[in-house]
Amino acid sequence: MSPARPELPREFVASHKRRRMMDAIAELTAENGYEATKIADIVRRAAVARKTLYDNFDGKEDLFLSAIDAAVVELRVAVEEGCRADDGSSEAGIVGGLEALLEFVAERPAVARMCMVEAISATPSSARLYDAAMRDFVELFRENVPPGGDLPETIEESLVGGVAWILQLQIRRGEAERAPDLLPELSQFVLSPYLGVGRVVNGGGRRDR
Amino acid sequence: MERLPRGRHGLSAEFVARNQRERLISGLTQALYEVGYHETTVSLIGQRAAVSKSDFYKHFESKDDCFVAAYEAAIERIRERVLTACEESEGRSWEERVPDAVGGLLDLFDEEPALASIALVEGLRAGRGVYDRYQAALESFVVILGRGAPRPPVGGDVPEATDEAVIGGITSLLGRRILAGEGDRLSDLFPEIVEFTFSAYLGGEEARRIVSAG
Repeated sequence: MSPARPELPREFVASHKRRRMMDAIAELTAENGYEATKIADIVRRAAVARKTLYDNFDGKEDLFLSAIDAAVVELRVAVEEGCRADDGSSEAGIVGGLEALLEFVAERPAVARMCMVEAISATPSSARLYDAAMRDFVELFRENVPPGGDLPETIEESLVGGVAWILQLQIRRGEAERAPDLLPELSQFVLSPYLGVGRVVNGGGRRDR
Repeated sequence: MERLPRGRHGLSAEFVARNQRERLISGLTQALYEVGYHETTVSLIGQRAAVSKSDFYKHFESKDDCFVAAYEAAIERIRERVLTACEESEGRSWEERVPDAVGGLLDLFDEEPALASIALVEGLRAGRGVYDRYQAALESFVVILGRGAPRPPVGGDVPEATDEAVIGGITSLLGRRILAGEGDRLSDLFPEIVEFTFSAYLGGEEARRIVSAG
């Protein structure tokens, strides 16, 4: 007897299920918070068996941390790509990276909320993941800024922290989808110390939107 | 905070209660600083405050309840210190007031690193209810900073989000230093924070000029 539907390769199905569980915990924690999210809700939302969850993850926290980890990797790839875009000047690179960040937040609001808001208070391990991600993005920013003479050593940390705070406010207001509107202001904010105020116009004069 | 003498001391019941409550608040603040939010227990708070566990429950329903009270007390003290620093430099230019306010804030944090830790790190760790208070506290500093902030010297506008982003940047920097175990010398960051603030409004070059002119 032939199967009712064509069989997909096993690894494909497995990784698709992992992805669905990670998406589910992002959505549920964004809606109700980490504490209130139960395994039963996750398996229902992801449409997988409870056993599948435990075959793939040690439990709720492991799934949560894996989901954050995966999202941070994707975000980093997107931002790095954004930094390489355009004419290769460091100004355009920073604006491109920032644009990629804002688009990620807008396109995946639940994931953004999980990584930038819920992670901080959910568990000590998730807070550590958040801190590690912040450190990585500070480094990435530092590698891409225009030469700025001798600005304070901590300037990149302060600027990235400022951008994170603005995005956290935006996400908590429920306006993650409109994050790309912040591009001109945030571009100016992060570039002012390097280029002077008022020298960066319209998000660095990047492509027309 | 000093504990009161045992036994008959002729102090009023309200005084004793208030003193106990304040001791519990600083006991929790201290315990958090030592072991973090998740490891802080009611017994540890009681130990640090020299108050019994049963007396703890006369004042607070739970650790969280005490935490919220301690958090609010911390924010209030910080705001008071910054406002006092601002009042002292009332009438002077924004460029003169910023260092006074930042200096006042960092001096307080040096005197009481546990206060900095609860306000800037543990508050965020504690969850949704406290996050709103953290946000409200930051908003109130945004207003203080924005008052009389300069227009840029060469055309263009300072973006609207700058006040908020600067406050967010300063608190994030301080929080990261506390997490790195450098919470007891936050005032080392004084020149960098002042220069960061100026550079967001005036550009790095102008910021450097003002800072080095002292």
